[in-house]
Amino acid sequence: MAFGGEFIFRPRSWRRLLRFAGFATVAALSPSAYGPQARAVAVRQIYLTAWRILPGYLVVAAALSLLLIEVVVVSARRYGVAQYSLELVLRVLVLELVPLLTAMFVALRSGAAIGAEIALMSVRGELDDAEEAGASPLHAELVPRIAGAAMSVLSLTTLGCVIAVWLSYVVFYGFTPAGLPEFTRIVNNVFDGVELFVFGLKCALFGLAVATVPAATGLEAEPGVIKSLPAVVLGGLIKLFFAIVTIEVASLMVKYA
Amino acid sequence: MAEQPDLPPASPAQRAASPAEIAAALLPRSLGVKVGILIAVTVMVIGGFVTYVLYARGVFEDTQRIALITDNAEGIAVGTDLTFAGFPIGRVRSIRLRDDGKVRIGVRVPVSEAKWLRESSIFVIEVPLVGAAKLRAFTANLQDAPLPDRAERPVLRGDTAQEIPRMVATLRAVLENVDKMTETGSSLEESLKNARAVTERMAGKHGVLGGVLGGEDQARKVIAAIDRANTLLASLGGVSLKMDSVLSKAEQRVFGQAGFVDETQKAVAQTNAILGEVRESLKRVDVILADAQTTAGNAKAASTDLGQLRAEVDASLRKLAGLIDEINRKWPFERDTKIKLP
Repeated sequence: MAFGGEFIFRPRSWRRLLRFAGFATVAALSPSAYGPQARAVAVRQIYLTAWRILPGYLVVAAALSLLLIEVVVVSARRYGVAQYSLELVLRVLVLELVPLLTAMFVALRSGAAIGAEIALMSVRGELDDAEEAGASPLHAELVPRIAGAAMSVLSLTTLGCVIAVWLSYVVFYGFTPAGLPEFTRIVNNVFDGVELFVFGLKCALFGLAVATVPAATGLEAEPGVIKSLPAVVLGGLIKLFFAIVTIEVASLMVKYA
Repeated sequence: MAEQPDLPPASPAQRAASPAEIAAALLPRSLGVKVGILIAVTVMVIGGFVTYVLYARGVFEDTQRIALITDNAEGIAVGTDLTFAGFPIGRVRSIRLRDDGKVRIGVRVPVSEAKWLRESSIFVIEVPLVGAAKLRAFTANLQDAPLPDRAERPVLRGDTAQEIPRMVATLRAVLENVDKMTETGSSLEESLKNARAVTERMAGKHGVLGGVLGGEDQARKVIAAIDRANTLLASLGGVSLKMDSVLSKAEQRVFGQAGFVDETQKAVAQTNAILGEVRESLKRVDVILADAQTTAGNAKAASTDLGQLRAEVDASLRKLAGLIDEINRKWPFERDTKIKLP
């Protein structure tokens, strides 16, 4: 039986993961993958991953945003750079923290579940059965789930960012449209072309990672060996966090290095 | 999204339900609608935000270009605002080092804001101690001709950081001077001591007088002198009263009835009469003198005749002398030279 952390150090496991992710992405982007049944699976996945946790997620995002905005405003005022605090808030909160938080949130809420489910199917040999029956398990079960999870991450990130932007405006200017011209100018400063492109790419990669990494790792469970399940699920989560951190660092390097 | 028609309901009678099938059976029927709403909202928010960012970047607005030329564009980056009166009116779009070593800063200003920039506008890069460099425009006269599109303008540079070493050097010199001025035994301290002594005396019994004169004794003397002067002034008042009465009497004597002036007037009148008489006498003298002159003229004519007479007498005498001589020669007996005039 393998210890969960070991999966990080297995090059073979990463190679399989990359191959799976590439195949799953292409499959998820091709319309032919969505039959009525696959569509239903995708809808169910989005419902479970995004809709169910939406209230809790929005509350957490708003609370964290308020806290961070207050911290930045107070310390910026103390150092006499209050005029840069809104830009700082938008850069740190909207561009970095909210997507990261969302990816982590969805990874904990659904990534582990997907990983466990796939691993269980793998242990029971259901996937092999489906393959033998002529139906590709990737198409029937995995691709819609991956697409649904990615879509969920994108959706939650968008809503979280909107909440964060709105809270920033309210904290800085209050409930009045008077600050709109200056806010627009700062938004223009923060979201220039490259920034927006990197932001979108990062969100998409987060969604893909949250969807594919636990599933791909779940496939590594040994058929018939039910004891291998916890290690596979844990290994999937660890790999997922590793992937998320890598994407975040890479995006920061592209923007600031 | 459609409902999930293809998912069969869990039927324990036929076979053991998979966990996925159990979960599917527990899901509400309207989940397709909910997920549809979620995705629609997401797409709308993303589209709205992208539109907002494009609007913020001025994509929907016509812009005017300005090229600012400077020697040093340090601190200026693409995206830096161009401000006028503290309001951002434009944005740096490009920075390029030209072949002549100068920096060309390309600025885009929306047409709606271009009215703040005129031919006479001045552009300045300010580098504060904290924060990014600022690009500012100053327009003294908003009635000037508007700045044309693609105009090239030089930029002045005000760098706080470069001023600091010079300021510190100057400040140190000033502080050294102040130190010298305030050290123990310096002239400033002496002056302050003297000032304190003077003010202490001023606060004493005789006040400012004591302070000015340098002691209570002198102040007392001055006060005594003032008292004496007061007494003197009082007696002078008496003297002036007496002088007044004397003067009034003198006036009575000089200008009053039968006074000095009155008598003098009479005397003058008499003198006038006397002088008139003198003038008459002098006229008579004049006449007498004229007569005398005439008389003298006659006398002169008479004296002229007298000369002629004497010459004739002379000639007669000489003839007589000659005759006598002859008689003498002829009459030798008589040696009598006495001549008897006829």
